[in-house]
Amino acid sequence: MWVKLILLLLFCLMIFGAVHFAQPRESEQPSSSNNAVHSLRLLTWNIGYAELEDDTRAHDKDLPAVAEVILREDADAVALQEVTGNAQLKILLGLLQGKYRGAVAQQGRGDRFEAVLVKDTGARFIPVPVGDRYAQGVSFKPSDDTEQVLVLSAHADAFNAARRRTYTEALLDWAEDRAQSSRVFIAGDFNFELKAGNETNLYTDNLKHDSESYSHILRQFRDLGRAAGDTAINDRRIDYVFGPTSLQHVGRVEVLRNAAVGRMDHWPLLVEVGP
Amino acid sequence: MFTLLKLELEKLLRARSFYLSFIVLIGFVALMLWGFYTYAARKTGGQAVEQFKYTYESKQYFNGLTFALYSLLFSFTLLLPIFVSMSAGSQIAGEARAGTLRMICTRPISRASLIMSKFLVTAFHAALLLTFFIGLNLVIGLIFVGWGNLELYPGPLNLVDAPGKIMRDEALMRFGYAVLSGTWALLVIAALALLCSVVFDSPAQAIVMTIAVYLTLYIVGRVEFFEHLRPYFFTTDMDFWRDVFKPDIPWQNLWHYAAVCGAYTTGLLLTTVIIFERKDIVT
Repeated sequence: MWVKLILLLLFCLMIFGAVHFAQPRESEQPSSSNNAVHSLRLLTWNIGYAELEDDTRAHDKDLPAVAEVILREDADAVALQEVTGNAQLKILLGLLQGKYRGAVAQQGRGDRFEAVLVKDTGARFIPVPVGDRYAQGVSFKPSDDTEQVLVLSAHADAFNAARRRTYTEALLDWAEDRAQSSRVFIAGDFNFELKAGNETNLYTDNLKHDSESYSHILRQFRDLGRAAGDTAINDRRIDYVFGPTSLQHVGRVEVLRNAAVGRMDHWPLLVEVGP
Repeated sequence: MFTLLKLELEKLLRARSFYLSFIVLIGFVALMLWGFYTYAARKTGGQAVEQFKYTYESKQYFNGLTFALYSLLFSFTLLLPIFVSMSAGSQIAGEARAGTLRMICTRPISRASLIMSKFLVTAFHAALLLTFFIGLNLVIGLIFVGWGNLELYPGPLNLVDAPGKIMRDEALMRFGYAVLSGTWALLVIAALALLCSVVFDSPAQAIVMTIAVYLTLYIVGRVEFFEHLRPYFFTTDMDFWRDVFKPDIPWQNLWHYAAVCGAYTTGLLLTTVIIFERKDIVT
């Protein structure tokens, strides 16, 4: 009888322990930071569609919703991915009521483009050759008393981790050379599959390539959106804003989860940084 | 109880399967060493550097501690549970098959004490297996691969979400923690196998049933179709043991899952005792 009693007691103790040490529910959710620090507000958004669609690039009918989010959040610079081209960018700039200027990346191997939008009228747009693709950069001064800022809009291969790694290396080489004269921010969809959650994947080359790419970026940059959680459907955090490691103040960091329209599979990531 | 434990321990030490488990683990470490050695040579050689400009897989990264960590993480999920199931699954069903269960039960000991002594011996076996395995990996790693700090990167092994490092002495301590957390996690399987051992009269049936339940939950837990069921599987909770290898151990999380695993273990043991006490032993 005493064995059963002891086991029952231990069982109850374990249940009590499990309840006692359970994480508070709210802390399981990604924490969006809301500190009031703002000298530069960046937004990155892959506005393309999920793989189920015939055309997975951005759709013109969604542009009013995209423009509304950009205007509402009042971002200083916006990095967009999967734009169909200059014509689509023009429509979007029209919807932004002339408050932004923009540029689309040169055509590389793919059928979709990275784009940047910026409020500063004196901004300079810079094409960024990255292997057989192009990213798009914009150099501007958020205000007169701040340093020059360079924002890159990037989009790494969705299907091949080795290509993502090559792309990241080339992009980082390019950015490293500019980091001496500007504060460089790299924003975009890198498609890294790195979630360390509950899965216990055994070692794969794909995982390792993404790991190497991400670790390479973190040698020189800081992952500003880490705390904000998933940025795409299926619990994926694949959109990033990387900033200088020397950044003292990071303000609001948030994934705008109500912003997606149509069959978009990404949500915009907003990051505010201080001077 | 002490005499009972001593007898069960003697039985364990006489069983061939006990030694077989250690031999297989030695074989696994040898295989891992070969794989790790050739991989390290390949990745730090000229070919890897030609394709990509940057890699963290340097000579400093490949060391004995990394080897031990990889070996332990790869084996823990699928190899060690098999030996624990074998050990626990044959405890009661093995006696029934050998025709000694009735005789044991005629002795002036309670059936509950018999179950507890068998469980404690199985727990000892699990702890011994893990201690031996970790110790062997560290020794082999030290001799053949060399010493260094334990560097962790996001992605492979799924331990961290940002690059991190554990200094050598601290890392050795973490392997010590892993013996405790790993054994505690394996006790869930031991308790399940003991329950199967009471329910089924054949040790093979008990072992296969335990492994089948474990593997089913493990596989189903990895398939996205069942994502919402995943938190309810003991295989998910068992993963807590790996937390000791995170640069900052999430203690609260670790205690939570340790308690959940403890609840599974004690709950299963209690069920086993109740069933065994009511069981009509005819073998």
